[in-house]
Amino acid sequence: MVTKLRVFLSVLLLSFGLHDNAFAVQKIEFWTMSLKPKFIPYFQELVKNYETQHPGIKLEWVDFPWDILQLKLITAIAAGTPPALVNLSVPWAEEMARDGLLEPVDALLAAPGATNDYTDAALADLRFNGKVYGFPHYSNVNVIAYNRKILAAAGIFQAPRSMDELLTQAVMISLKTGKPGYAPALGKIDGFFMQQGLDLMRDGKAVFNSPAHVTLVKKLAATYKAGGFLKDKLFAEDNFPAVVDAYLGGRLGVMVSAPTAIKRIQTDAPEIYAQTGIFPVPPGPTGINDGGWMFHFAIPKGVKKKDIPEVAAFARYLTSDTNQLAFASMAGVMPTTKQALANSYFKKILPNAGASEQALAVAANSMNSARSLYVSGIDDYDELRRFLVKAVEAGVTGRRDIQEALDEAVAIWNRKLQGVKLP
Amino acid sequence: MSMPGSLSASNKRRNLLAYAFLAPALLLLLMFSFWPVMYGSYLSFTDFSLIREVHWVGFANYRALFANDMFLTGLKNSLLFLLVVPFTQLGAISLAVLVNNQLPGIRWFRAAYYVPVVTTVSVVGIMWGFMFHDQGTLNYVLLQLHIIAAPLGWLSDDALALFAVMFVSFWRGLGWYMVMYLAALQSLPSEMQEAAILDGANRWQRFWRITVPMLKPTILVCSIMSVLAALKAYQEVDVLTQGGPMNATFTALYYAYDQGLKHLKLPRGLAASFVVSLCCMAIAFVCLRWLKPGHRE
Repeated sequence: MVTKLRVFLSVLLLSFGLHDNAFAVQKIEFWTMSLKPKFIPYFQELVKNYETQHPGIKLEWVDFPWDILQLKLITAIAAGTPPALVNLSVPWAEEMARDGLLEPVDALLAAPGATNDYTDAALADLRFNGKVYGFPHYSNVNVIAYNRKILAAAGIFQAPRSMDELLTQAVMISLKTGKPGYAPALGKIDGFFMQQGLDLMRDGKAVFNSPAHVTLVKKLAATYKAGGFLKDKLFAEDNFPAVVDAYLGGRLGVMVSAPTAIKRIQTDAPEIYAQTGIFPVPPGPTGINDGGWMFHFAIPKGVKKKDIPEVAAFARYLTSDTNQLAFASMAGVMPTTKQALANSYFKKILPNAGASEQALAVAANSMNSARSLYVSGIDDYDELRRFLVKAVEAGVTGRRDIQEALDEAVAIWNRKLQGVKLP
Repeated sequence: MSMPGSLSASNKRRNLLAYAFLAPALLLLLMFSFWPVMYGSYLSFTDFSLIREVHWVGFANYRALFANDMFLTGLKNSLLFLLVVPFTQLGAISLAVLVNNQLPGIRWFRAAYYVPVVTTVSVVGIMWGFMFHDQGTLNYVLLQLHIIAAPLGWLSDDALALFAVMFVSFWRGLGWYMVMYLAALQSLPSEMQEAAILDGANRWQRFWRITVPMLKPTILVCSIMSVLAALKAYQEVDVLTQGGPMNATFTALYYAYDQGLKHLKLPRGLAASFVVSLCCMAIAFVCLRWLKPGHRE
């Protein structure tokens, strides 16, 4: 009797085991950042297609607002329940890769035997300490949207060829029309310096008080004094809403932004859109184009090794040429694969093309040299940045001597950089 | 016969019943107030991280905090923010006295003064953002009245921004404290006022010699609440300036939020919060000591 029972139980367990193996469904949970509700149909379709093609895979899409995603992710990793894939920006990925929270994906970027099609610039953005930490998804590059009427009134008909020229044009616009010409994001002066080929640090020390830095800030101060800059939120961490509002209201000559914002003008202010022209942003001495703010899908630490090949396959599907092209055309962003970028959608400017289509074409031409500019590897960097912005603000607005203000900020940086690492 | 000082059975039962009624609220307070405060205080002495082993670091976070330029800037601004307290209290008492009179339409005024209290901070931020804008209502009015020659950067000038934010805090708090003072005024016995009138005291004398001394307990409570609100100033800063311009409105609690929740440096954020709490307690203690009824200098 006991033997029979043992046999029965063994068969039962075996059958469960077989059943488990034969009909195992692998769940892949992937997180995105602030893509709901606009992209619900796109992702639902994408999930349905993938699940149909891969019956052994069950996909779960979770979307978090951008400001809580990082906390949610770290909590999930700490709890041992990370998502299989997560949508991140480059600075976040760098920070998390530094903390050992992401898996390198160099060997997974392409299917076995194939070569990957991501642009060199996108992969360079995601390469930290020699390893790539994500599958590039979409990026952006800035273009100059200009108000034809305002620029014509100022006698400007040509694209600026350098930052100096852009600042000169801003002053001309102000003098001729009484309106500000340009609204740089001086709250992100660190990126501004870097794009102009000026280092913030060298050999672990802050060096942004050099004569070259002072000269650039002096140029900004002169432009500010002449009324060339839009003063609303000029030094805020995010001056974009103020810039868009001013441009939409016809109160600003030039708006430097990604093509996505041009779409918004088309919707919110058709009359301004009708008189909007597009110039490329002049690359700085570095040759790097402004505004490459790339998003990608990374594999967090804690994802089971045996699951990684399937997760990578799905990541490649998410970021494939076809899907990137579909997403980019819907969102007004730029794809990060060579094939999608070469698509006629980005290349062809029809005779009756509006500013939005022109912006995409101009941006596509700049994409190969678009990089995310940020300072990496420094603890408490945001705090240091605040002191840099404070110094630049004091100098630009004429409240302090520029050299003095920058010297003081450099001293604060160096004191902090050489100090004891905080817990 | 029961021993002196001992509780009778019925008293014990009554006490138990009282504790039983208090228990749910106490339990909630323990779970959501006392425990987080105690645990948070403990974590401020560690290098807590979600992804690393936690170590006890003693006062390292606090030492780092007081060597941190950003936190010291925040603390200085938070202490400056205390300037709003006397103005708020004086304004609230004046308003309460004003609306305590039986004038036509006084109910409407009482409601109007209370509106800012129930308005959400985000709406307040948008509204005052328009008012304080370089080309906003306030500059327009002042220019039209020839009070200023050029627009002032209420939120973009580091010399003015903190005061602009303080004004918004003052404006929001005024109605709240007014209601408290009004309730206190209406509960004052009228006999003393009548006796003073018979003695020939004028309005001013009656206000300073009778009303204000009798309002002292309310002034004490409101002042402490106002001090705590000023030291914990965060919402107005967040919606109006995000700590700018040039860190002029960056307060200690904004630093705590910035470090703890934005950059996930929880121990440092908690240490900053703990320092703010200590400041609150110290100032509340001073208020209690100096404003307590019966205090003699």
